Amino acid sequence: MAIPPPSKISVSNPASNTRRMRRIIAEDPEWSLTIVPRLSELCLQHIVSNFEKNPVLTQLNPIQQRRVLDRLSTDLPLKVVANLVTDESYWRRRCNQRWAVGHVEKYGNSWKRMFFERHLQDLLKYFIPGTTDPRVILELVPLCQDYVVRLSVDQFLPPVKLEQQIQEMEQSDSASETEVEEFSMDHYQLGQLVAGLRRLEELDLVFGVKDCGMNFEWNLFLFTTRDCLSLASTIKACHTLKVFKLTRSKVDDEKARVLIRSLMDHPALLELDLSHNNIGDRGVRAAAKLINHSHLQILKLANNKIRALGAQALAHALSYNTTLLSLNLRLNCIEDEGGQALAHALQSNSTLTNLHLGGNELSEPTATVFSQVLSVNTALTCINLSCNHIGLDGGKQLLEGMSDNKTLMEFDLRMSEIGQESEYLISVALNANREAARLRTLQPTCCHITVNHINNAAD
Amino acid sequence: MNSLLVDEEEEETLVPPVKEPSVNSDDPQERIQARRLRIAARLEARRREALGESLDRKKESEEDQSKSFKQKEESRLSLSKLLLCGTELVTNIQIAGDMRETHRRLDEDEAKRQRVEKLENEIKTSQEKFYDITAKWEDSKMKRIPQDLWGLLNEQQHQCAMLIEEKNKLISDLQQELKGKDDQYVKDLKKQGDDITLLLERMEEQVKNLINTFRQELNHIEKAFEQERQELLISNKKKWEREMNVHNSKELEYLMSHMKRVEDYEKQLNQQRVRDSEEYNSIKIKLELDVQILEQQLQQMKATYQLNQEKLEYNFQVLKKRDEENTIIKSQQKRKINRLHDVLNNLRMKLAKQIKQYHEDNITLTADYKRIIMQFRDLQKTMRHFAIINDKQFQEVWIINEEEAKALMDKALDVDKIIQLQQLGLPWTRPDYWFMKNVGPISHFKKKSATELVHELLLMSEEEDESQKSSLKDQKSRLFLPKHLSAKTVRLILEIMCDESGFLIESKLLSLLYPLERNESCLLKLDSVFAALGIENEDDVYTLVQFFLDFRARRATSLQSQEALTPVSDAEGIGSIRRESCVPGDCQDQRHLLCSELIHPNDVLKALKAFVISQQKLREAPMPLKVVTQRELRDVSQDSEYWDALCFIIPLPRQKLWDALIDALQKYHNILTQRAKLLSDNEFLEQQNTELQMLLQQYIDSRINIELQVPPTQVFQGPMK
Repeated sequence: MAIPPPSKISVSNPASNTRRMRRIIAEDPEWSLTIVPRLSELCLQHIVSNFEKNPVLTQLNPIQQRRVLDRLSTDLPLKVVANLVTDESYWRRRCNQRWAVGHVEKYGNSWKRMFFERHLQDLLKYFIPGTTDPRVILELVPLCQDYVVRLSVDQFLPPVKLEQQIQEMEQSDSASETEVEEFSMDHYQLGQLVAGLRRLEELDLVFGVKDCGMNFEWNLFLFTTRDCLSLASTIKACHTLKVFKLTRSKVDDEKARVLIRSLMDHPALLELDLSHNNIGDRGVRAAAKLINHSHLQILKLANNKIRALGAQALAHALSYNTTLLSLNLRLNCIEDEGGQALAHALQSNSTLTNLHLGGNELSEPTATVFSQVLSVNTALTCINLSCNHIGLDGGKQLLEGMSDNKTLMEFDLRMSEIGQESEYLISVALNANREAARLRTLQPTCCHITVNHINNAAD
Repeated sequence: MNSLLVDEEEEETLVPPVKEPSVNSDDPQERIQARRLRIAARLEARRREALGESLDRKKESEEDQSKSFKQKEESRLSLSKLLLCGTELVTNIQIAGDMRETHRRLDEDEAKRQRVEKLENEIKTSQEKFYDITAKWEDSKMKRIPQDLWGLLNEQQHQCAMLIEEKNKLISDLQQELKGKDDQYVKDLKKQGDDITLLLERMEEQVKNLINTFRQELNHIEKAFEQERQELLISNKKKWEREMNVHNSKELEYLMSHMKRVEDYEKQLNQQRVRDSEEYNSIKIKLELDVQILEQQLQQMKATYQLNQEKLEYNFQVLKKRDEENTIIKSQQKRKINRLHDVLNNLRMKLAKQIKQYHEDNITLTADYKRIIMQFRDLQKTMRHFAIINDKQFQEVWIINEEEAKALMDKALDVDKIIQLQQLGLPWTRPDYWFMKNVGPISHFKKKSATELVHELLLMSEEEDESQKSSLKDQKSRLFLPKHLSAKTVRLILEIMCDESGFLIESKLLSLLYPLERNESCLLKLDSVFAALGIENEDDVYTLVQFFLDFRARRATSLQSQEALTPVSDAEGIGSIRRESCVPGDCQDQRHLLCSELIHPNDVLKALKAFVISQQKLREAPMPLKVVTQRELRDVSQDSEYWDALCFIIPLPRQKLWDALIDALQKYHNILTQRAKLLSDNEFLEQQNTELQMLLQQYIDSRINIELQVPPTQVFQGPMK
């Protein structure tokens, strides 16, 4: 390590400046009265300034490392820093400099993970197939493969050619759809990237364009067959994947079936979210098959086009399933037939804890079956039947069912026309159940004492 | 309260072992019982303790902690209620949105259905119209008049325009609807935006509200705790002060008593000091006196010490001298020891030499011994060889001599015969002597083998069966039985043995013997039995029989002695047996009867066993000599007899006769010779006679004639007759 020439010392020496000599600068933590800085200090400064060319970190002792890390520039290329620097405070600085808002809790309290995930997310978000160089992303893979756990991309841009095409389309009113098909509308293929990420556990994708404003075109939101096929092979190859979300992407039955088929017997998958798509009964049948061919615990199919048939298929699968914990069928149209089928399935199922059937055109017959379920089933803790037409009689039946149940904690019956009285009584019963559960978790031994208190308090 | 409880427990735990069976008891059942009781008591105690504690806690919670606990519970409940209501309030928006969405969907479905219906109706009507128009086109072809055609065309045009207008109207309707929908969409967007802002507001409000209420509740709880703490502090302080007062008063009391005690102790101390000083003085005087006495004694001791020292010095000198002497003696002894060691070494060397020499000697001697033994063996071999040769030579010489003798004998006999027949005119018979037929050297005739003997015995018995009165003499002439044994006894004993010792015979043989006659089978059986017992000779058989008899006799005596022990005995039985044992030879019949009676078949095996053992003992001893001495033991005594007998083939009276005959013949010869002489003489005499006759006439009465044996007158007369 070359000794810096004396002239430099005079420059960096705070004592040389007569103005600074006079006062103590409180903000400068490194300020000291020593007129000549130590050689080691100078060396560290040199290391910091030349870190890009000559990264020296691991050879230093912890105190020196600390000093170097505190002074490292946040603009250093990732190639240098990614695998060398593990210090959280450095990455924190980098994150804070780049993004104004960021919840490190969402990233496992790791600033480094946050940085890489969001960095990759940004790159993918503004990746335009055909124009952007795919190497930009692939070069990043070896740097971030150990840190990226979740990949959530809420927009995929279509190829640039499309814009010209759109212009053409604007010019010629009668642009046939076949022409559109000819131009590949495929988005970025995730295959290579996902294969490179070793720790990837969560994929959250939305095939759509954000902030399109007045440039809206249906073609911007096209999830093509090739996209679907490549995504299917990608998720099949990724054995560490635990959560897969594909929402607001106009996934229809065929594509859903392709995706779900690729997920059959997946070794790690726990959660599947296909909300806000166009999935019909056939797609749901595939999903029903999936829940008994994997370790799936959470299935979300909210806001799709599921009818009674699909619900019956799901109910059949659910009747002998032992893994699924949560099922969300909000905003579908399964109606009484499907609702009854599901309720019957729940009489034999003992693992499902969470069921959401809001906005499904259910009415009194479903409520009668559900009241039986409530008295039999002890696994369910949360049911949502809001926005249905259960009616006053149905409400009374549900209240009867609730009187025998000791495990249910949440039972959402808003906007379901059951009458205020039964709603209030049900809420009272739920309250009692909640208190009992709380006591069970707090003090399983002397619950009988405090129960009295609760009763007193309730009175 | 706690202490009371503890006391109770202690009492409980203490009570049972006093009344109930103790654990240290000797009876195991009792101990088990005791342990069980103890376990039960412990469980009971634990249960009570738990109950008591829970009761305590309950009371405490009700009394002591009531304020804070109540406050906590209240705030928790209110907070949870608030939280629930808040979340409900927030989620209400979502639910409302969902509800709206479902309604919208329903409306949309309805509208869609209506639209489709409408379109279908439209299609139907337009289709009809289209058909009308097309039908009219057909009509137009029929029209020939141009006005009609024009009118029709106009009408058609009008119709088409109508149709198109209707379609356009529909399109415009739909477009209007679309616009309406667009407007609706924009409205919806706005509404949703409003909803979201509302949601955000509510959330923020909720958060603020929650924070405020949480803070309030926290304050309440803190206040409650503070208050409780204050109360506790005050009560504790009061308690503390009370305790302190009590403590202070007690302390004062202690102090006073302490002071009193201190004064008492001081008084006592003073008294003690006075007493001690007095005592000290008296002891001091006494001790000084003692010191004086001890000093005197010390002086005396010193004097004696001096004396002793001198004595010891003297002794020391003497001992030194002795020591010197001892050293001298020691050196001498050492020298002696050395010398003796040398001698010992020399002796040892000698001993080793001797041993070596003896060893060598021993080796040479053993070699010599071996050589001699070899020589001895050779010698024996040669000796045996020579013995054989000697035998042969002896035999040959014997035979030659015998032949010579026989020739001589024959000659003698012939002579005798001739003499007898011719000379004496007596009848002559050839004398028959045992030695006449003998050829070769005389040897003992061989002993009969045991089987032969048995065979003979059995044959004899057969003969006996045939002719019961056959004479004993005949048998005896054939069988040379020992005097004291009768053939019958022997036979009986053998038969018994044959019956009893079947185990000695091979099973195969038994099966083979089955079809044979009794005697033959008996013979064969006995043969195998003898082979098993090692009986070879006639003598062995006799010894066996004798042994049996002895055995029986011994048994009898033992029986007798047994019977003699009992006071009431069969006198006749004893008498008969005694008589029998006293005179064994006389009453043979009786004996064999007794044999059959007294040797019980069961005793045969024991007897046999004893016999075999005794035989083995006998045989082991003399065996090795036999081989060598057999030849030498040949009896020479009979040889001379034999030869002597050969000599005396012509008996002495006959010799005497012969002597007499010789004499007579001699005489006769003499006479004959005399006669011959006399004859010649006679002739001469005749001549002379004739001469003499002439002379006779001259000498007729001469005296010589009278002196002759035969008177010349007779001779005269004989030839004359």
